[in-house]
Amino acid sequence: MSAGHDDLSARFQGQSRLAFGAAVTDLAGQDPRVVALSADTVDLIGLRQLMQDSPDRVLETGIAEQNTMGIASGLATVGMRPHVCGYAPFITARSMEQLRNDVAYARQPVVIGAACSGIALGVSGGTHHAVEDLALMRAMPNMTVLVPADPMEAYLLTIAAADRDGPVYVRLGGRVPEPPVTPPGARLEIGRAQVLENGSDVTVIACGCLVTEALAAARDCAASGLSVRVINMHSIKPLDSDAVLAAAAETGRIVTAEEHRLPGGLGSAVAELLARRHPVPMRFVALPDSFAVVGPTDQVRARYGLTAAAIAGACRELVD
Amino acid sequence: MPTSNRQAVLRRLEAEALAIRRNIWRALRAGGSGHMGGSLSAADLLAALYFRFLRVRPDEPDWPDRDRFVLSKGHANAALGAVLVRAGFCDESLLDRFYGYESPFGMHPDITLAGVEMSTGGLGHGLSVGLGMALGARLQGRDFRTVVMIGDGELQEGSNWEAAMAAAHHGTSALTAIVDYNKVQQSGHVDAMLGIEPLADKWAAFGWEVREVDGHDMERIVTALDALPCSDSRPTVIIAHTVKGKGTSFAEDSYLWHSTMVPDDVYRRAMAELGGEP
Repeated sequence: MSAGHDDLSARFQGQSRLAFGAAVTDLAGQDPRVVALSADTVDLIGLRQLMQDSPDRVLETGIAEQNTMGIASGLATVGMRPHVCGYAPFITARSMEQLRNDVAYARQPVVIGAACSGIALGVSGGTHHAVEDLALMRAMPNMTVLVPADPMEAYLLTIAAADRDGPVYVRLGGRVPEPPVTPPGARLEIGRAQVLENGSDVTVIACGCLVTEALAAARDCAASGLSVRVINMHSIKPLDSDAVLAAAAETGRIVTAEEHRLPGGLGSAVAELLARRHPVPMRFVALPDSFAVVGPTDQVRARYGLTAAAIAGACRELVD
Repeated sequence: MPTSNRQAVLRRLEAEALAIRRNIWRALRAGGSGHMGGSLSAADLLAALYFRFLRVRPDEPDWPDRDRFVLSKGHANAALGAVLVRAGFCDESLLDRFYGYESPFGMHPDITLAGVEMSTGGLGHGLSVGLGMALGARLQGRDFRTVVMIGDGELQEGSNWEAAMAAAHHGTSALTAIVDYNKVQQSGHVDAMLGIEPLADKWAAFGWEVREVDGHDMERIVTALDALPCSDSRPTVIIAHTVKGKGTSFAEDSYLWHSTMVPDDVYRRAMAELGGEP
């Protein structure tokens, strides 16, 4: 963890799922309680090296997510710090009752790395799209819900998650590019959003891959004289309510952007807060309440408006 | 052990089982209703576990090296509370708080109550959790044992078989499953609902050591527990053939007594049969 920004980045190969594996590997090197559980995802998460170096620190549990989650809970009861790795669509929905009862209800410090979230597996179709996972996890008491915007943030948040008293969900990407947005030397804190661009007319609160799009939208808007604030809300729960309320008070208009269906995700979390504390006009960039089409990730994203252009359009719509 | 000593041990365990059954009805009476059938069927097994097998310290419930017991069939929580009280984990007055407002002793086990290792109630969870405990013991170099009690109807949940496969694959010989095979579930007899036979063959095919006992014969129960672990490399399942509602004749072997109301007259009948004071 003392390695430099560039050295770390080289290990991730530009992928947040590999950054999670790197963080677990580094944590395991420092803390004998750390153990990884893989639901047939050792290479997907980047745990092969740890498995070879320390076979007892990576437990392969096969394609059986319910059992994986239950084992993690049992390990936690005896003082271990389990890190569960799986495909986002399956490690959430398939093991939902184990997540709720054995992990969240029993308040176990289990960290879940969910790879290929959103529509990272676009061509695989609706069975493999994880676009309701934030809603499921947000609805879970005791759960911390994190959406890193890039691999470096995934690494740093996974390191930070190790100290949480309770379960943590870390939403990770797949094999599609994840452009870096985290500046070198960034200090991340769970529950504390990052203001990446200051602006005064409207604020875009984004998470995950939509942060890059939000930054592009802000640049586009700036060219036409519209000042857009961009907030990277990597912590969906706990939500940084101070940052949201300040944005509402200072810019008066909010756009949220996420690679997730509208019900229950980031937009819902922000709207729930603002409706009570500081109502302002809002727009939501999110997937509609329907199953997405099959297709390459970038094309599916474009089809549903998960783009800089759509975010910029929402900003202009609020100002006009 | 000399025969006379062994007989004394067995008689003491049988007396504990009787006391557990009385406690079950006391808790159910306090709650007004509940799962008597699957609680009563487990009473002898729980007596043998807590007063013979499990290395636990009621005055130090978080002792790291304690044996772990997970009641996967969490709806039998009246039985767990009954035995925890007998073992000294909590005060007898707990029984009178069954279903009480903010009580740690509700219809299903809660990890916040001293002596309860996992919150259960959703079926098909305990074996995975117990496997995690057993794997944790191995990782930490501890020698505690883990026992998970599963219901027979519960075995219809597929997650059990994920756990069974994994436990054998990982060679967790310190893990023992006990199936409380009372043959009856909520809506009828198990074999009429979704049959689980051939049960012993299933476990054996999944790579487990299999032992079958009469779950109300204390000598057989103790012999099976004393023989654990049955293998250095394989987990063991004890299939305990039991009778739903055992000990109160009117409630035996009937799905109608899986879970129902407990008015005063039922409580009095039960206690009369169990030789207790109503």
